[in-house]
Amino acid sequence: MQAMEISRTALDVEWRRIEIASQNLANINSAAGPSGAVYRARHLLSGPAGDFASHLENGSAADLHALRGVAVTGIVEDNAPPRLVHEPGNPAADANGMVAYPAIDHAQEMLTLVQSSRVYEANVVAMNAARQIYTKALEIGRHS
Amino acid sequence: MTAAPVAPVTALPLRDAVLPAPPVAVAPQASFADMLENGVDAVSAKVNQADALARAFALDDSIPVHQVTYALEQARMSLELLTQMRSRLLDGYQQIMNMQL
Repeated sequence: MQAMEISRTALDVEWRRIEIASQNLANINSAAGPSGAVYRARHLLSGPAGDFASHLENGSAADLHALRGVAVTGIVEDNAPPRLVHEPGNPAADANGMVAYPAIDHAQEMLTLVQSSRVYEANVVAMNAARQIYTKALEIGRHS
Repeated sequence: MTAAPVAPVTALPLRDAVLPAPPVAVAPQASFADMLENGVDAVSAKVNQADALARAFALDDSIPVHQVTYALEQARMSLELLTQMRSRLLDGYQQIMNMQL
């Protein structure tokens, strides 16, 4: 069951990563809102899961004994300067007629989407393999 | 072209690599009936959890769908283990009961 639990944590993380990439792509043409803040591209940070206390005790990050899968460690905002476009007719334009659009790397987001879907698929395969060996183990000694 | 030097391989402690050995019960702590009851309770809890998740998903699909299918699968696997246990125990019981005296 541990193997399936590990795969499940990976599914959670990749799901979130796809959600964030979708959010970035959805806001690619969002001009600065009424508050004046431009949307900033977000990126998900993930790392091996494990409780902090056991890491401290063992003093090493490679504590293989505790296989707890992966976890989201945080979300960071890209601090790239916004893309300025000259659009004097736009109500969101500043005094110089420039409208700020978020600096989102379209190709990068597409790459994240493709990569995350593949990782998701791979983890579903790993989970199914664990499930299959579990049901095979139930067949040990069965004679009916 | 220069080849980069290969870092030496460091071995991790062996306890990390091997699976834990199955516990050998010398003197059983709980009675057989208790053990069986706890097992059935655990399976029931998993089935209930899967049921609750499926309900929650039907109402609000912001829950990732894999969490629902995972819970359902866990419940199914536990139930399968339970039925296997039942049939094997019953098999043993019947063999003893049919013993020629």
